[in-house]
Amino acid sequence: MYRIHLGEFEELILLVVAVMDGNAYGVAVMEALEDQAGRSVNISAVHAALRRLEEKGFVKSEWSEATAERGGRRKRLFTISNAGRLALEQSRDVYIKLWSQIPGFTPNISFT
Amino acid sequence: MMSEHPRPPKWADRFLEWYCRPELLEEIQGDAYELFAKRFKNKDLRTARRHFIWDVLRSFRLSTIKHFKIKISPDMMKSNLNIAWRNMAKQKMYAAIKIGGFAMGIAACLLIALFIKDELSYDKHYPNAERIYRIVGINKAGEYAGKGVDFPAPFAKALRTELPEIELVGRINPNTLFTGGGNPIRRPDETQNNYEEGFTFADQEMLDILQIPMVYGDRAHALDEPNELVITKKIADKYYPNENPVGKTLLANDNTNFPLKIGGVIPDFPSNTHLQFDFLFTLKGVNFYPGEQDNWDASNYHTYVLLRPGTNLRQVEQKMFDTAFDKYLAPLFKKNGMSDEAIADVRETIDLELQPIGDVHLYSANIGASIPHSDIRFVWLFGAIALFILIIACINFINLSTARSANRAKEVGLRKVVGSLRNNLIGQFLTESILFSLLSFLIGILLALLLLPYFNQLANKSLHFPWQEWWFVPVLIGAALVVGMLAGIYPAFYLSSFKPINVLKGNLSLGSKNSFMRSGLVVFQFTTSIVLIIGTFIISQQMDFILNKKIGFDKEQVLMLQGTQTLGNQILTFKNRLKQLPEIQNVTVSDFLPIVGAGTKRNGNTFAEEGQSTNIGEGVGGQIWQIDYDYINTLGIKIVEGRNFSPEMPTDSQGVIINQTLAEKLHFDNPIGKRITNGFQNFQVIGVVEDFNFESMRENVGGICLILGNSPTITSIKINTDDMSKSIKNITSVWKEFAPNQPIRYTFLDESYAKMYEDVQRMGRIFSSFAVFAVIVACLGLFALASFMAEQRAKEIGIRKVLGASVPGILRLLTQSFIKLIMISIIIAVPLAWYLMHKWLEDFAYRTPMSWNIFALSGVIVIFIALFTISFQAIRTATGNPVDALRSE
Repeated sequence: MYRIHLGEFEELILLVVAVMDGNAYGVAVMEALEDQAGRSVNISAVHAALRRLEEKGFVKSEWSEATAERGGRRKRLFTISNAGRLALEQSRDVYIKLWSQIPGFTPNISFT
Repeated sequence: MMSEHPRPPKWADRFLEWYCRPELLEEIQGDAYELFAKRFKNKDLRTARRHFIWDVLRSFRLSTIKHFKIKISPDMMKSNLNIAWRNMAKQKMYAAIKIGGFAMGIAACLLIALFIKDELSYDKHYPNAERIYRIVGINKAGEYAGKGVDFPAPFAKALRTELPEIELVGRINPNTLFTGGGNPIRRPDETQNNYEEGFTFADQEMLDILQIPMVYGDRAHALDEPNELVITKKIADKYYPNENPVGKTLLANDNTNFPLKIGGVIPDFPSNTHLQFDFLFTLKGVNFYPGEQDNWDASNYHTYVLLRPGTNLRQVEQKMFDTAFDKYLAPLFKKNGMSDEAIADVRETIDLELQPIGDVHLYSANIGASIPHSDIRFVWLFGAIALFILIIACINFINLSTARSANRAKEVGLRKVVGSLRNNLIGQFLTESILFSLLSFLIGILLALLLLPYFNQLANKSLHFPWQEWWFVPVLIGAALVVGMLAGIYPAFYLSSFKPINVLKGNLSLGSKNSFMRSGLVVFQFTTSIVLIIGTFIISQQMDFILNKKIGFDKEQVLMLQGTQTLGNQILTFKNRLKQLPEIQNVTVSDFLPIVGAGTKRNGNTFAEEGQSTNIGEGVGGQIWQIDYDYINTLGIKIVEGRNFSPEMPTDSQGVIINQTLAEKLHFDNPIGKRITNGFQNFQVIGVVEDFNFESMRENVGGICLILGNSPTITSIKINTDDMSKSIKNITSVWKEFAPNQPIRYTFLDESYAKMYEDVQRMGRIFSSFAVFAVIVACLGLFALASFMAEQRAKEIGIRKVLGASVPGILRLLTQSFIKLIMISIIIAVPLAWYLMHKWLEDFAYRTPMSWNIFALSGVIVIFIALFTISFQAIRTATGNPVDALRSE
């Protein structure tokens, strides 16, 4: 089984993209990060992370229709790929495995 | 409407479009616009614009920027070089001026860089240099305000026992009072003495602190026994060549009772350390007088410490001070009858600090110390001069390149027409300028090599090019490339911007278009030159002032015979024999002479009227000089009140002659008959002498007490003769009778006096040299510029002449614009120079007034030089036959 390194910030972004289910693009991801994770980052950081994720094959992108508030420019919409989903799951499993081994600390959560 | 919408800053948007990869642009720009719109809605326009700029700048990343392709094809390179070479060959004069001026600038810069590098390298080479400190004492207020490095002998012992943070404490005592400085030296098995300099007393710990490597002997035991001596390799080779001298002895001052045992040989101290000694006597078992080593009242020791790693500097300084003061000094003051309040006052006014050994050379300007040092301000000054000369040279380069644009414009136009891109043209011009720069560096380095011996003499250094260092050649080449780029970048962009259609139609107002820029550059050059010229004048005027000021004693034709203490009790007979020589006016035996250096001695005392306290803060500072009956007459010092010492008056042994300053400081209206004390001895004032300068002109005259006493090291002889060499021969033969085994050593008082101001003279010479450099480089530029202008206006002048203009009229036409620029330079330079030189003169207590005629003279000189430079071309053009200029249309 091959392992691909997924940075902490990248993982967060990947999660947000997965949650947004096809509506993820730069500004939206940035705002979601701030709302959901309380992290305020510059738009350029989001772009860079998305680019890296796409290079690694964890997300795919396609152009939307042109929008007025963007001066007639299109949005680049990101969706999570199967490889991305797999990477998230792997990462989650590692966490759970480790959490469960902390003495006297049983996580009371279940994933389906 | 779109136009009603607020827009993000245009330049930021453009910048984004410029750098961003096209495939990423839409996403990044779109998001940025969207954020801008949102922020505008939620906040205000200013915030939105600011954030937009920030987003754009933050998006400037390696992963987002375009691949700017810099194509360097070998063929193009070759062609560029070829063209550059041909251009150079075609315009030999301009090329020579460009390269020559540049080379001079580079040579000056290189020399100064070497100088600065050497200055900065002082005392950095000791293995633990970052933990070695010199202790500096601070007096915050009162008459003694200032810093000093002399400490009482037992201070080191106190630190050693009380402060565990200090790993080692060591002292040196180079004071001439205790036979530091110079002494006659010989091997015990020889009779002839040699006079040697560079003596100091030192603790064994000094060797350990500095970790001085040993040529012979064991460092840990080189100075740890009484009468031991460490000498440098140079001295060892002189007295014990080709052998290990450890365990052998040397005699100092013919003293056979105390042969000095050589405990070790160290390498000669490198030139870049403030510790310049050849003989280190051990302080082990030394007591210069009974109880000296435990006496807190006399401060003669320079004290150095090695701190333990990780020690907090501030804390240790505080602890040092607290310990020394509370535990040692305060009880002593109390014993001397000082009140607790007075002691508390003293505690407030003094302090200690630790000076890193690497700072000693450059940061000791405000520290009174007998060890010569330099000054960080000179390093800055020289750095600034180097930079300015380089800038002047670069300006020439830029000026000439753009001024010559007329000749290159057609070339640029044609190249563009046949398809050359702007980038290619920029590349070509940059290649040219780098080629120029490389050539200039080559010539500049040769020039610097040639001038180095002269510069060494000028700066009193032994600098050399560090060719063996791995970084030196790469740095030079790198510097050549960078300077070439910098000097070439403006001309390259300027020349490559011509529009081919204008150029080829002949519409371009060639060369004169950016005359504002060029004028500014000329003004800059000449302002710098004028400041340097004025500086040169004022320094030499100050030097003149120092040498010719009425200093209160007669320094002409006075011979100082050194080392006469070796005559022992024969000295009076010797003195009388000398007096019998017809050309000798007078002779005096005293170590205390009104100059600094040349073996003269100094001391520190506090005086008060008898019955009053001489404690710190209460007494008046001054010196006690031991002189003989002939001193005042020999030196031509004027007595203003009372009388000189006289052999007929036996009470004169308790008498004292003071100077006006001391009388004034003691508030004596009628000083004769008053009794004064220095805390140990009491004297009665029998005379007052006019103030004479006995310290540097940098300080005000201090108080002085002249008493009768024996200080036989120097015998001063006042001679009145036209044939000095014959007189010296006569004196030498008398000397040989009395001291057949001692070489005669003498100096002249006026020369020793001038030597005190060597640094001023050196500074003046350096200034004038670089002023000449700057003026030459600036004039080269002006010359080229003027000839270019004359060339440009050849047709206009031809027509004017045909229509009847006179030669002087045309000359005026050609020169007046330049003269205007020079005038502007003068107006800028005069206040600047005045301010800078005013700052410099503040170092001197006695200084020459800055008179307006120096400034006027400098201005006139510059105008003349400039006129001379311009007129070469102007006269040729003005007197030329108009036909030559007009026929080829």
